[in-house]
Amino acid sequence: MQKYVIRRLLLAIPVLVLSSLIVFGLMRVMPGDALVALMGESGNVGERELKKLRKDLGLDRPYHEQYLIWVWQMVSLNPGDSIFTNEPIPVALKKSIPVTLELATLALILGLAIAIPVGVLSATRQDKPADYVGRVVAVSGLSFPDFWLGTLVITFAAIWFRWIPPLGYVSIWDDPWRNLQQFLLPAAVLGFRLSAATMRMTRSTVLEVLREDYVRTAWAKGLAGRMVVYKHALKNALIPVVTIVGGQLGTLLAGTVVVETIFALPGMGRLTVEAILYRDYPVVQTNVMLVAGVLVTLNLLVDLTYALLDPRIRYR
Amino acid sequence: MRSSINRRKFLTGVAVGTTALTAGALRPRTAAAAASSYPDWIPASPKPPKRGGTLTRASAWDPPVLDPRLTQSIGLFQFVGHTSSRLVRYAFPEEATGVTDPTLKGDLAESWQASPDHRTWTFKLRQGVKWQNVPPLNGRELVAADVKYCFEAYAKEGVQSFTFREIEGIETPDKYTLRVHLHTPNVLFPHNVAECVTVIFSREVLEEDGDLKKRLIGTGPYILKEHTRKVRLALTRNPDYFDKGRPYVDELVILSTPDFATRLAAFRTGQSDILQVASPSEVETVRKTNPAAVVQTYKNVLAPFGLALAQDKPPFSDLRVRRAISMSIDRQKQVDTVFEGHGIPGWGVPYMYYQDKAPTLAELGPWWQYRPAEAKKLLAEAGHPNGFETTLFYYEYWPQMTSQVQIVQQELKKNLNINVKITKLDYTTYYGRYVEGKWDGMAWGFQSGHAVGLDERTYMYLHSKSTKNFFRVNDSVIDELTVKLRRTPDRAEQAKITKKIVDRELDQVLRMWMPYDGGFLIYQPNVRNMAALALRRPDGYGSPTVARLWLDK
Repeated sequence: MQKYVIRRLLLAIPVLVLSSLIVFGLMRVMPGDALVALMGESGNVGERELKKLRKDLGLDRPYHEQYLIWVWQMVSLNPGDSIFTNEPIPVALKKSIPVTLELATLALILGLAIAIPVGVLSATRQDKPADYVGRVVAVSGLSFPDFWLGTLVITFAAIWFRWIPPLGYVSIWDDPWRNLQQFLLPAAVLGFRLSAATMRMTRSTVLEVLREDYVRTAWAKGLAGRMVVYKHALKNALIPVVTIVGGQLGTLLAGTVVVETIFALPGMGRLTVEAILYRDYPVVQTNVMLVAGVLVTLNLLVDLTYALLDPRIRYR
Repeated sequence: MRSSINRRKFLTGVAVGTTALTAGALRPRTAAAAASSYPDWIPASPKPPKRGGTLTRASAWDPPVLDPRLTQSIGLFQFVGHTSSRLVRYAFPEEATGVTDPTLKGDLAESWQASPDHRTWTFKLRQGVKWQNVPPLNGRELVAADVKYCFEAYAKEGVQSFTFREIEGIETPDKYTLRVHLHTPNVLFPHNVAECVTVIFSREVLEEDGDLKKRLIGTGPYILKEHTRKVRLALTRNPDYFDKGRPYVDELVILSTPDFATRLAAFRTGQSDILQVASPSEVETVRKTNPAAVVQTYKNVLAPFGLALAQDKPPFSDLRVRRAISMSIDRQKQVDTVFEGHGIPGWGVPYMYYQDKAPTLAELGPWWQYRPAEAKKLLAEAGHPNGFETTLFYYEYWPQMTSQVQIVQQELKKNLNINVKITKLDYTTYYGRYVEGKWDGMAWGFQSGHAVGLDERTYMYLHSKSTKNFFRVNDSVIDELTVKLRRTPDRAEQAKITKKIVDRELDQVLRMWMPYDGGFLIYQPNVRNMAALALRRPDGYGSPTVARLWLDK
């Protein structure tokens, strides 16, 4: 297993290098630059001033030099400052990562808390009303886009309950109750989306497993229904579910962009989108590399989880 | 299985459906009718002001940096007017005679006077004005040398340099006198230093930090207490503010809320005190849940957006082509449909500088009326009987803009056989391409949003040598008139020259303005003295007007 992990980690290097080249290239291909965005609607900046600012920021150097400087900064864990705000990138990340992490974790917990019981219920009550309800919920989750659901939730919460999550993010360490109020609805929106595919996968794999011989044997032994379903069937049905949850984490991170905007949360999603709009090269590049690194790691973790769920699986 | 729908049921259904559709189609008109009942001016409260409270506003904007030399972003200037003062300012709502009152008042300056040739302006500063009691200023007195340093720094680098480079030199004969020498005469110079973007910043911060990106310390009514990017700005009352007793509100909070639905929800639930909406139907939606909310129709004194043509190149260098295009666009249709009957047909110079009432579409002259047959004839005379191909790029500042762009595309095709290929861009790409001024074809152009002053709206935006002349106007008559305006001290005479500039612009179709609507401002019922003035809304570039606002709680 150790060899397997090392091999996977080594394989991650070309993936990350390729990602860095793609994001660096794409940012340079896009027209406009951070200076133009920074100026706002002024238009009264001479070419001389722009040239000077470009030089100060190193944007006048050849692309390969800019790339190598950036790679070196990344390797030495000093990704530099934002062009747009002058804020050191690690400072900006330190503020935004906990927001996205909290949102994604809550969404994942809520999503799984909905998906697995409903998926199991749907499977064990196949073609009964509970199954139909579960399937409708799952299809709805797949069909409703995040921005639509988020807008609807915040609008109707305001109209019906005269309440929306308090604006102005506070950290969970400063005010846990206020923080929870701020995260519950956005996490529910994201979690609902996440639960849909997981619910459908849980239903189909549990259905499949329930028809296996060893489950029939468990029933024949006279085990309680709960024991049969949760101990014998569900555990064996979880491998495809874990795979799909792992795959959806990327979608979850993408979903945070929209949800963070709607619920005014200062997370990684908003940071990245704003940086793209303002052509803040170092911020975009660092964020993309960070997300790429997270996804590579998550995929590895998902693969390693298989062994925990099924001891027959061996890594070579 | 037999269908359960018979002929009678079908006809009933059709009748009900038609009625519903008709009602739906009439809805904007109904909303527009209701909207017309909202005032465009809210007089100051006669009650004595109360101290205290927190005013909160959910805002679409976030300041990129805190340095007023480096940006004119609305995100920054939505609050810089609270922390910092200018030499002179425009009247606040409680002082103004009406929404279009452009009277100048002293801010840091008590009085100002020009030399007979209007090349030298002398400003007498208030005595005893203190910088905010925050290190490194620690409440020291503001003196003329501070203003001199600041103006010279603006001229040296950054986005305000064009305005301040007309300064030849500055003298400070004593602590409270500032003498500004200009390269050329300008009777409107005080207007330029009254714009919200010309705030006085502190020398110490710039010298210590090398820029003003992190700290903003001024002499204004509020001290910047907290700036957490993408979260909130919190400002607290400055107890040493020179205008004793003011401001009234203890704390201002601006919450970064990029999504409109969230800002709307925040207003509905009382988390935000001010809301801007674009259309009459949106006002009615808000009023359903918040019937006590106070609504003000935002007074449009100009249109900030229009069709910008590459008029230094064929085919748009031909006046007949510009006139033909203008006549092929039905502006009234845009007002009626896109803006639900609530909007202006479009012009570029604030009308209050040359006449009392907003111009009607008819007053804009023959080339601004919808006359497609004449337009086609004129285009044929210009050598394009079969139309031509061109391009148009734009950035969607709000959804209605896309509708306008598409209507123009359809009308140019239908009436003149001009095929327009539209490209929708993100803000940075759009802005970079637009202000660079080297594009071909057409752009959905803009003029900057912050300016109130006549000099900015005429000379700065229309003179061929100005770097803010985004519409690429190059007209010797306009150049002559805008320079003449800067040398004419008499207000009545200024109005006449301004009218000539406007008439020339409209006749030559130099900037093809499009219909516009500033929408509505909605306030919680306990907010007093909050009226939006023309070009000075309390939520954007006009936010300094909030300095006199109070909460009746």
